[in-house]
Amino acid sequence: MALSNDRMESLERVKALLNGQPVDRVPVFPFALGFCAKNVGYPIASMYDNPERSFEAQLWTQEMYGWDYPPFYGYASYGSWEFGGPIEFPSSELQQAPTIPYFPVQSEKDVDNLKLPDVTKAGMLPFAMQFCKLQQEHGLPIVLVVGGTFTMAGNICGVEKLCRWMLRRPEVADHLIGMARDHILDVVRHWAETFGGRNVAVQIWEPSAANQIISPAQFEKFVLPYQRSLHESILSMGIRYILCHICGEQNLNLPYWAQIPMGNPGIVSFGHEVGLDAAIKHFGGKCIVAGDIEPRVIQEGTPQQVYELTRQCLQKAKHSPLGYILMPACELPPMAPPYNVYSMMKAVNDFGGYA
Amino acid sequence: MASDSRTKEMLKELHDAVLAFDEDRTTELCHTVLREGIDAYRAVAEGLSQGMNSASDRYEKMEYFVPELLLCSDALYAGLDILKPAVLASGKRTGTKGSIVIGVVEGDIHDIGKNLVKTMFEAAGWTVYDLGKDVKLERFVEEQARTNSEIVAISALMTTSMLAMPKAINMLREKGSKARVLVGGAPLNADVARKFGADGYAPSAATAVEEATKLIEALKKQRQQG
Repeated sequence: MALSNDRMESLERVKALLNGQPVDRVPVFPFALGFCAKNVGYPIASMYDNPERSFEAQLWTQEMYGWDYPPFYGYASYGSWEFGGPIEFPSSELQQAPTIPYFPVQSEKDVDNLKLPDVTKAGMLPFAMQFCKLQQEHGLPIVLVVGGTFTMAGNICGVEKLCRWMLRRPEVADHLIGMARDHILDVVRHWAETFGGRNVAVQIWEPSAANQIISPAQFEKFVLPYQRSLHESILSMGIRYILCHICGEQNLNLPYWAQIPMGNPGIVSFGHEVGLDAAIKHFGGKCIVAGDIEPRVIQEGTPQQVYELTRQCLQKAKHSPLGYILMPACELPPMAPPYNVYSMMKAVNDFGGYA
Repeated sequence: MASDSRTKEMLKELHDAVLAFDEDRTTELCHTVLREGIDAYRAVAEGLSQGMNSASDRYEKMEYFVPELLLCSDALYAGLDILKPAVLASGKRTGTKGSIVIGVVEGDIHDIGKNLVKTMFEAAGWTVYDLGKDVKLERFVEEQARTNSEIVAISALMTTSMLAMPKAINMLREKGSKARVLVGGAPLNADVARKFGADGYAPSAATAVEEATKLIEALKKQRQQG
């Protein structure tokens, strides 16, 4: 359902923003998965193990709230299953997303023996492909979600082990992160061949490289080179832009992230720990900036607090040079009170418009 | 028996080895402690543990990050493995500061933060009962009752799993537990911790021991008064 002040359709609005054309209001990417499942009465697991249900739950919830960004398939623990490990889909009310019960790589020898997965068969990739074919059938952009190189390496061996190897056995860490990058490139190439590079938008989520875990020096050594070559290769496949979710506290990494190409224009989204002022300072001149409504406030705050926080974000970022997308700072909490989510959209209607 | 000056020198070297996350050097020094008859209890309390405390300070100042802390922790535990038998044989207790039950709530498997908090408590001389990750809520209650721990520390990284915290706290209270509950994890803040009924909130691994110490002092005062 359109907001009362809308003068454009959702897809029209997103396309206009990406093409550098005027839009009627700030678009909204809700970053919502489990919330959509709850909204339509499906189990949260269906967002991950049932592409058809995941797609329709997102489409219906998008229509209900007037969101703009199209449905997408993905989860942050991507990597374990694809490299031969296990994955567990959410099975209780307390679980938000798939989890990794144990990692496929336990030792340096396992790293030596690791093989790049067959991207037509491995792990969740058949689900992701099925989902993207639904996007294609509905005339929507093809959105492929992958992890950042460091996050994926952490999903293969465990973040603690990766951290230890960074200091003790840097060549092992390098090899594993390199394999993660090569796998992501294989996936993107498969998608580009299937749908055409121009039709694919890649989302990259990178939570594990946050400064809550690694230092900026470690980022420079173990993230920057791999992430930069990943993005360069993706863009060389004809893919026009990358939506990069720079998750968590990454203030000290921003100068390095700013060296990584995101496309023309890229979209960078941030955790609330970074703040929209810093995001615009580092990226406003070359990317569309997205963020950063704190999920805790959406779930635990009052409707008035959500409305006010949304107003503040719009005020700070709606005039970012290449545009702004309102987005939660991370996944919209599945248990968020619906009225809080409505309050976010009400603020967009009241303060997100362009003259 | 080693002289005072030699003991002090070794304590400093142990501290420095842990802080430099030099596991081999820590191991070598701990063997020297035993060989030279240096007080193993002091070597743990004033050497190894102080090294970990200094590492925690550096983490708080963002001079160290998780990789460095993990390796400091490895050095600490390597040293403890060598010295603990001697400490136990000496009859001196190491867990004198308090006892704590710790775990990541049901539905959540993110335990890096919890593991660091556990290390900080052990380094500070607490007795830690670690329940691990994805812990059924009743396990917090059972373990607190079994150990009579003063503190129950509950961690969560997801907005969904953190909703288990008020349930766990209610379960503890319903069973009559007087333990103080400390919560932590990325989606929380002090307001949410209060809303959930927690007694304390630790925004980082480095601050958890300090917060728990305040809680335990308040608990002791309350017990003395009542």
